[in-house]
Amino acid sequence: MTSPALEVLDVSRRFGGLLAVDQVSFTIAQGGLSALIGPNGAGKTTLFNAITNLFPPSAGEVRFLGESLAGLAGDRIARLGLIRTFQSARVFPGMTVLENALAGACLHVRAHPAAQMLRLPGARAEERKLRGKAEALLDLIGLLAFRDSAATDLPMGAQKNLEVVRALMANPRMLLLDEPAAGLNDSETADLAALLTAIRDTGVTIMVVEHNMSLVMGIADQVIVLDAGKLVAVGSPTEIQANRRVIEAYVGAEG
Amino acid sequence: MSGFLQIVIGGLSQGGVFAAVALGFSLVYRVTGVVNLSQGAFCVLGAMAMYYFQVVFGWPTPIAAFAAIVSVVAFGLLVGVSTFVPAVSTLPVSSTLVLTAGLLTFLEGVALIVWGNQPYALPPFSGEAPVVFGALRIPTQGLWLAGGTVAMIAALWRLVYRTSLGRALQACAENATAARLMGIDTKRMMLISFGLAAAIGATSGLLVAPITSLQFDSGSFFTTSGFIAVAIGGMGSFAGSVIGGLTLGVAEQLAAYYVSSLFANTLALLLLLAMLLWRPNGLFSSGPARRVDVRSEAPVHRAVIRLPDGRMIGLALALVIGLGVMPLLPLPNGVLPSLAISMILFIAVLGLDVLMGWAGQVSLGQAGFMAIGGYTAAILATTYDWSPLAGVAAGVALALVCALLLSLVTGKLRGHYLALATLTFGLLVDSLTVGLIDLTGGPSGLVGIPSFGVAGFDFDTPASMYWLALALAAIFVVLLEGGMRSKFGRDLQAVRTDQLAAAALGVNVGRVKTTALCISSALASLSGSLYAFNFHFLSPEMVATPRSFEMIAMLVLGGEGTLVGGLFGALALTLLPTLVQGLALYKTMAEGALLVGTFLLLPEGLFGRFVLAIARWGKAGSMAQGKLPT
Repeated sequence: MTSPALEVLDVSRRFGGLLAVDQVSFTIAQGGLSALIGPNGAGKTTLFNAITNLFPPSAGEVRFLGESLAGLAGDRIARLGLIRTFQSARVFPGMTVLENALAGACLHVRAHPAAQMLRLPGARAEERKLRGKAEALLDLIGLLAFRDSAATDLPMGAQKNLEVVRALMANPRMLLLDEPAAGLNDSETADLAALLTAIRDTGVTIMVVEHNMSLVMGIADQVIVLDAGKLVAVGSPTEIQANRRVIEAYVGAEG
Repeated sequence: MSGFLQIVIGGLSQGGVFAAVALGFSLVYRVTGVVNLSQGAFCVLGAMAMYYFQVVFGWPTPIAAFAAIVSVVAFGLLVGVSTFVPAVSTLPVSSTLVLTAGLLTFLEGVALIVWGNQPYALPPFSGEAPVVFGALRIPTQGLWLAGGTVAMIAALWRLVYRTSLGRALQACAENATAARLMGIDTKRMMLISFGLAAAIGATSGLLVAPITSLQFDSGSFFTTSGFIAVAIGGMGSFAGSVIGGLTLGVAEQLAAYYVSSLFANTLALLLLLAMLLWRPNGLFSSGPARRVDVRSEAPVHRAVIRLPDGRMIGLALALVIGLGVMPLLPLPNGVLPSLAISMILFIAVLGLDVLMGWAGQVSLGQAGFMAIGGYTAAILATTYDWSPLAGVAAGVALALVCALLLSLVTGKLRGHYLALATLTFGLLVDSLTVGLIDLTGGPSGLVGIPSFGVAGFDFDTPASMYWLALALAAIFVVLLEGGMRSKFGRDLQAVRTDQLAAAALGVNVGRVKTTALCISSALASLSGSLYAFNFHFLSPEMVATPRSFEMIAMLVLGGEGTLVGGLFGALALTLLPTLVQGLALYKTMAEGALLVGTFLLLPEGLFGRFVLAIARWGKAGSMAQGKLPT
């Protein structure tokens, strides 16, 4: 029996007197596409930040592929294959679109820095290969024409797509995407949905924080609902759509 | 016992000035989130104005003091409104910090032009006779200074905590955006804090001038001492500034008396480094400290400066050939040695670019590594008869060891604390080169350094030295360009612009910073040893902290993050004073003005602008094909 991709065990996160995430537990199986939903202020991004130790959990534990993440710095977590994006696209300013994509591959460059400085054939071949992969991904998402533009010149939606490409360049075993569809129009959202499904089909586990219900219900195989820091429900999209407590959380309890 | 008390009293009066400068730092920091390194220069300007009004014009002391403070504040407001306030509003915090270092250089240059390079002392306010308490003798000026400092603290405290202007200043400190939304003119508040800090500086300067003789570059001394004081006490804390200043004053006087006056500074600096390691926020961590974190997390916008691949080789060849034939041309007298010096300095500036331009780590201590390389190679070659090449290698090795030790301190520091740590390191090396007389020859320097030589060939002419430095620089540029265009360069830039996002992709931020510091230090060390072999002489002031500021000016003028750009900065700042002899007096001022002006008007630098122009020209066709998605 393989261990689950992500186990969130009784995780809480406190900011001063505010309990932003309150004893949340759930499990994500390998190879799945899960969505974390909830009204504004439900604690979705806080939970994301707790999982990746940006603001570590005040209590509880997170395990990735059976291994505890407690006390691990951000780069160590990335090294395990857990790669995240940010709610506001954080592309690197001062770098081109292509360079931003390549920056995601930093864990997978084998060539020694000295070999790169000396432009040895092995290092150049590896660089060409990475470049080819980055260009293929950029092409998939419609950004190849802008490979040499400054990344910060792209509109916000395209910057978020670039961030997904950058994360993919890291060969993740699991992707945590924070509102990837924010700022995208309907056809771009459809493209994104296709891309996410395609990534999932290559065996990468995905978890998205998302507001866009049609996207979530269309592609997720598991939906996790948070409200006011507490776990409300976990289940398949159809189960969640029928769940009374979820409806109450979104439209408010009646009476 | 009375001897000890006497020293403590001397320390307290010295510390009073440090405390006043530290107060100025804290005030401006609280309102703007920036450490204004030009603070110390206002002390000198205050003393200088006082000298003219009191000694030259013969005005009575109170009127002269008032006129001096008013004129310095007026000048300070002018400087503030034209440089500091626009910089705080548009530049990232690290650039603003470096810009204020440029302001410091500029103001020192102004003082040099007005005042010359002689030390001046003012007459004490109420005679030379000290007040005597039993065996204690207290100079009356010390009492003036103490009283003045207390009065300034009281006035500042009242202003900040008891008036509506003070509340507006506080609001800017707590949350500038919210303050702006509440209708507070934040730019005006920045300017007011800058002007108040100038007033504090001027007052303490004219109070201390009768005790300590001042000269045009005493501003750096006040700035660094005040900076150390504020770091000990806690950035932004008024009480901490005063206690930090007094502690530093007393500690330095005690060290000077009981250890050696040559090492007074060294001990204070070691104290500070230990402090930064132990409690980076100072003894009194200040209220609104998080400001700087908010700012340094803000994205750093910079144009993408890339030469199109196809044009690289041609340009590089043209540059190397063009530079290579220079010594064969009929050059005016003195130009060839200046070319050699520029090229040697460029090697250190190249290292600085990796550290500052690519990794975004402000370093105010690059000259310290030059000194390590220069002195190591020179001492080994003169006293121990080592071959120059072995000396150079030993210098680089020692610089790497120091860089690794320094990175233990700087690893967790950002923004101005990082700048402070590197500045402290540079000053520490300064004080050791002066203090270790048996090893370094002390202030008068080390003579009889041989020429650089390898395998029987001596580089003993300016032309040969120039070609050597050019060849080395070309090799390093080619290697670094290769590194910067691959994973290492991308990691560096990721760390510069967004450490959080970099770490989330698996970049080991700490190791990347340390590597950049090591590259930078090794190149500085090499440059320093070539510098010593070139002059056959090395004195502390040739590789002291002003040199660090000068190299930053070279880098910024040429263009950060361009590798080659620094060469043009080095050529400009080295050749101009040689070509136009009359300019020598204005060199300091011009360096400062160029640094400040470049930041505000040409943030990409000379070479950066050139590359952007070429790239735009080359891309004019290809851009038309792709339209940005909307």
